[in-house]
Amino acid sequence: MHNVKRNPQTPEALAEKNQREQSKIIEFLTLTEDVLSRKKKQEWSNDAFELTQRLLQINPEFYTVWNYRRNILLNGIFPQSTPEQINDLLSNELSMTTTALKANPKVYWIWNHRRWCLENVPDGPERNGVPSMEWRQANWDKELFVVERMLDADARNFLAWNYRRYVLANMPTRRPETSELAYTSRKIGANFSNFSAWHQRSKTLVGLWESGQLDPIQSRDDEFELVSNALYTDPDDQSAWIYHRWLIGSGENKAQLEREIQLIFELLQEQPDSKWCMESLVHYKRLLLQNHSPDSQTLKQECVELLSRLMDLDPVRYFRYQDLRRDLDQ
Amino acid sequence: MSTSLVAPLHVAYIRALGDSKNELSYHLSAHLRMNAVYWGLTALLVMGHGDALDRDEMIDFVMSCWDEEAGAFGAHPDHDAHMLSTLSAIQILLMQNALHRVDVDRVVKFILSLQQPSGVFAGDAFGETDTRFLYCAVNALSLLGKLDKLDVEKTVAYIRRCRNFDGGFGAVAGAESHAAQVFVCVAALAILDRLDEVDQPTLCWWLSERQLPNGGLNGRPEKLEDVCYSFWVLSALSILGKIAWIDSGKLEAFILSAQDTESGGIADRPGDMPDVFHTIFGLAGLSLLGYPALVDLDPVYCMPASFIEKLGLRKGWKALQRRTS
Repeated sequence: MHNVKRNPQTPEALAEKNQREQSKIIEFLTLTEDVLSRKKKQEWSNDAFELTQRLLQINPEFYTVWNYRRNILLNGIFPQSTPEQINDLLSNELSMTTTALKANPKVYWIWNHRRWCLENVPDGPERNGVPSMEWRQANWDKELFVVERMLDADARNFLAWNYRRYVLANMPTRRPETSELAYTSRKIGANFSNFSAWHQRSKTLVGLWESGQLDPIQSRDDEFELVSNALYTDPDDQSAWIYHRWLIGSGENKAQLEREIQLIFELLQEQPDSKWCMESLVHYKRLLLQNHSPDSQTLKQECVELLSRLMDLDPVRYFRYQDLRRDLDQ
Repeated sequence: MSTSLVAPLHVAYIRALGDSKNELSYHLSAHLRMNAVYWGLTALLVMGHGDALDRDEMIDFVMSCWDEEAGAFGAHPDHDAHMLSTLSAIQILLMQNALHRVDVDRVVKFILSLQQPSGVFAGDAFGETDTRFLYCAVNALSLLGKLDKLDVEKTVAYIRRCRNFDGGFGAVAGAESHAAQVFVCVAALAILDRLDEVDQPTLCWWLSERQLPNGGLNGRPEKLEDVCYSFWVLSALSILGKIAWIDSGKLEAFILSAQDTESGGIADRPGDMPDVFHTIFGLAGLSLLGYPALVDLDPVYCMPASFIEKLGLRKGWKALQRRTS
């Protein structure tokens, strides 16, 4: 149970609640027994199909019943249906689960059922005697719309993000990756603290760089500008700092590393107690030491001083800073 | 709020869970029953009260969940076999010294049949994939002494694809790092003796940044704390030998503050309704933090360490030393 406030009840109130629940329990158990006994008999009827829907509306986490429902479709209903009817059935499944998803955005089984539906949409309708991809196209496009509404409701829902990536990777006509970059820009613009969107952006950019659709050098500089805005807006928010660390990577580009160190140093002047400024400076200066100036006593000394300040400022992670300081001494 | 563990209340709370058949929520959670029994039994064992639930009844329940068609365990009698309930069933039987009741060959066949060409595992025949199921497979095969049947390279290759620049791991390739997925990937790699796949300095940094000023741990950057991350984050830190990188005193105080000191059980955070899931993961966290009078918990398998040692499966994790008071 998550986010359910404790509300101690008197024994009388509890007994009353249980009393009220009795009819619901009987209804649920009777329905469950009915459905599971039909399942055992491998009954693939429309009646059974309707009953699974009723049961799943009461309990969308009943995975066995989702399985049964799919088996009814596969073994009972699809064999007697035209491709058009199958498409209609699956479109209905998707609509029904959209409602369920809005009420239960973190139920894995619902997302899973939608995947199965999408993957089973038939080719069609026929155009000039050849099956077209229109049904698939329509369903997958709609799916992207649904998942965007889910991310509007909760921009950090990782099930929705995973599903989004799945849809983008599998839809019959892929969308250009640049449009996903634009999507993450919108999500980040709406809230700099949305690390899920920063994460998605990092994955999207790698794809764009590797396929040559974006110039890695120019694009990386654009990213530094975007992330600097976020850092200056809220220097206490981890999301942009973690993304910044990704942009720097292993720190092979010395000029870039020095430029960013300078920029963070300036931010630290404005925000003298910023833990993340200091933490990042230590990390980047250590990269300078490792990659470019292994003998610089000045850099080492600067790291040691920053780490000592961090030990005071962020005592929760005291021993991590101590370990890092010890490594520098060696 | 309490500053010490109210263990007798938690024991009573877990014992009473099976008696709540007059509550709708009991029936609506039937699909989690096998997991709940594993959580409850492990919690009792961590508190040194493994005998608080009837052993024979428990074993009978587990065996009644056998899915003869699939050759594995479901979450409840007449529910379909699933990877999650199959691992829980094996763990329960092992902790009740009744592992001989498992049809090992069939279960191994079921598990191996769920590995996908990419190396990840599906949860059941309908094919939802997730690194959670990969961990369940690796864990179960190792408990059954059948890891030699696993294509280790293929399995590790998938975990590698789930590793992100922040050192963490996601549910599937491309997914955002999440502390629970970090636990399953790191623990699976530990079982497979492949912790060299982990970018340890980066991951331990990311894990240490999960601790919030109130002492609780979150599962991802800029999210709320939750008691269950006391285990997901702490187990990974323990496996990587870096529990010291967070403030154990503050975490301990946070877990204790989430106890229901009237009716027992631990909640996701202070003031919320307790449940058996947060009760075990809160206790597991306390055990790793060296809380007095608790039994040592193995963070790789989330079971009392003695069972794992008996099987010769103990890995090189480190917990804090158990305090005497």
